[in-house]
Amino acid sequence: MRRFFPLAALACWLAALTATPAASAQTAWAQAEAQSLWAHDTWRRLLHYKPAPGNDRWRSDADDPRFFLAPDGADDPRAEMAATLAAFAAPASAGDEHAQCRFVARLTWLKSQLDLGALPQPDCAAYRDFRALVQADRAVLVFPAYYLNSPSSMFGHTLLRLDAGEQDGGGEYLSFAVNFGALVDANDNGLFYAFRGLTGGYPGQFEVDHYYQKIRDYNRDENRDIWEYRLNLTAAETDRLIQHLWELKGINFAYYFFDENCSYRVLELLEVARPGVTLTADFPLTAIPIDTIRAVQQAGMVTGRRFRPAQGTVLQAQLAALPRDLRRQVQTLSEDPSQLQRTPLQALDRGDQAAVVSTAYRYLRFTQTRARAQRNPDAARRSLALLRELKPRADALPPDWGVPPAGVPPDLSHGSRRVSVGVGREAASNVLHLGFRMALHSLAENGDGFPFGAQINLGNLDLRVDEQDDLSVERFDVVDILSLSPRDRFFKPLSWAVQTGVERQWVDEAVHHVAQVNGGVGATLAVTSGLRVYGLLAARLEHNHGFDSPLQPALGVRSGVLGTWGPLTLRAEAGSERFANGRTRSRWQWQQNLALARHHALQLQVDGHDQRAPGRVAVSLRYHWYY
Amino acid sequence: MKKLMVGAIALMASSAAVAEAPGGPNCGWGNMLFQGQSGIVPHFLASTTNGTSGNATFGMTSGTNGCSTSGTLTYGGKKMVNVMLDELSADVAMGEGEALTAVAVAYGVSAEDQASFAQLANRHFDTLFPSENVTADDVLARLESLMKDDATLSKYVS
Repeated sequence: MRRFFPLAALACWLAALTATPAASAQTAWAQAEAQSLWAHDTWRRLLHYKPAPGNDRWRSDADDPRFFLAPDGADDPRAEMAATLAAFAAPASAGDEHAQCRFVARLTWLKSQLDLGALPQPDCAAYRDFRALVQADRAVLVFPAYYLNSPSSMFGHTLLRLDAGEQDGGGEYLSFAVNFGALVDANDNGLFYAFRGLTGGYPGQFEVDHYYQKIRDYNRDENRDIWEYRLNLTAAETDRLIQHLWELKGINFAYYFFDENCSYRVLELLEVARPGVTLTADFPLTAIPIDTIRAVQQAGMVTGRRFRPAQGTVLQAQLAALPRDLRRQVQTLSEDPSQLQRTPLQALDRGDQAAVVSTAYRYLRFTQTRARAQRNPDAARRSLALLRELKPRADALPPDWGVPPAGVPPDLSHGSRRVSVGVGREAASNVLHLGFRMALHSLAENGDGFPFGAQINLGNLDLRVDEQDDLSVERFDVVDILSLSPRDRFFKPLSWAVQTGVERQWVDEAVHHVAQVNGGVGATLAVTSGLRVYGLLAARLEHNHGFDSPLQPALGVRSGVLGTWGPLTLRAEAGSERFANGRTRSRWQWQQNLALARHHALQLQVDGHDQRAPGRVAVSLRYHWYY
Repeated sequence: MKKLMVGAIALMASSAAVAEAPGGPNCGWGNMLFQGQSGIVPHFLASTTNGTSGNATFGMTSGTNGCSTSGTLTYGGKKMVNVMLDELSADVAMGEGEALTAVAVAYGVSAEDQASFAQLANRHFDTLFPSENVTADDVLARLESLMKDDATLSKYVS
């Protein structure tokens, strides 16, 4: 401060005489110093400063020297402001590289706070082109829903869409989507990739691309439903967001899967757009995408939602709308479009014909979605043949044909975190259960807002206190994923499970805490829309001191049912496995869940284990509270 | 016979249009209809970060992939048709749909003329999609040629 002050005072005096840009910059800096402007919330947001260890110390999340004009700008907001003001006054000849061209939002804000005098006028051609292209006066927060087949997406994802033109005028495809993602090295192998992704080893950057690319990626290629939450950003706020977005072009941030992820960065953009609102403060440890959407809702920024179904969702809706005997014709027709000219299809009325043709076309396109798919000339020929048959019959389709029901939106699901308390009885002893789960949803829980048959848990801890006041771990699941998508004539997904953690196991009636990892692959059938049965082949690796040689692999089977009836959910499963040392284990579990309200539930659980004595059965009743 | 003549003339007109197709010979709009779709990859360990390989796209401020931008549709509009060709063909067959509307918007077709645009495309489905080997570039050239001959829509491609 002392270093600058006499200079600034001198500059003030000089400025009165000669209004050169450099002198104006000194004047502006004196004004900034007088009000400690670098401590202003907006400056911190624009530079992504976060409190760092120590008294009044700050550190920017931007992990890139190109984002700062002062050498120590990453952790010195004051020096960065001084350097920024000086750089704004630099000769205009630098053009696109001039600080005024690169840091447009900083310039706009500092102009509103300080008298910057007559600044040089660099030619910002690149920024001008960008703004000519990315025109918008409002924004939409977009949530591609849960996708269990990719760890990065199993909690969903968020991005922003910037809209221009008439509301719902059909221009959304050409709107720009703003996405924060990691820049990955495709040459890294899988495990290394996962590790780097979780620990911030990849740089993250903002990407701006047309929304139709996102529709293709999510709705079609990954078969994920998309929910769009319209925001009430004003034109001025949207403009500020785009200005700041330009500053972030090519700027690296460390990407952390759990906290500083896509959803967190989107919140930061919204905080820049609307200075009064605080959104990121609620997410110091984890930013689960759907929770960030709820935070934006609670800040009063969401005015509506829209459902954009995946191609598989549309196909399912069309199949469901067909009479049962016509469903069989869908496959026939997709394999041979000329069947429309033969019985029984020929005998149908135009409306039914149109429905079958439309569904056959959808189905055929769906079957052409494969990993690294090549164009199939025969399927292409059949696709066009079906469209040619559809065209003259399209007017006979019902008006809402192929529009699937949206279901409960994901923002109305139970809370992501769970606290549990319960009582139980095991081996003639009463037990108190205490639980905490970081995220997100188990099969037996109220499935509103989640895909039915999907279980995604991280950090699930269940503690027990017995009558001797001994506290111990009942179970701790690090990761626990189960995907039960039903198979039928049209859809052939595999069901699968992956779980790892610590749990109690019995060997010859003695209890042990074992570390284990297990996985399974199998199939699920839908009996009705709310009732599924499944079977999995399972493999397991367990470290158990009850065994002579503690580390043992095992193979087994598990099978169960999952049903839901209004607020009541049931999951029952039985399984058996055989270890390499010849020991076998059989278990069964009955879980019955009653949703009392959106964030409250009661769960009854009965566990059977063939190695446990006496009685082999444990019973518990837990109360779950979600937040 | 008369119908056949009209058809032949329309076809000649469209092939002429194809010859001077917007985009240029080495442009990336050569996607044929009904590409195989890459998707449903069980990449359990293969992605943890919503990542993109290589450079992050940032709008498209410079460079247009070697494509000329002299046509009536912007770079973004052409790229959209190239990417969404399947969806567009289904919308044209139905006479409505978001991809069809988006193409109309990309041509600057006003809200009151969008129904005419959809009807024109639907009526000429067989001209626009004469075979399954038609490319995005062909479809656009044929569409623009149809619009030029349409009293209401010619103003959007002049």
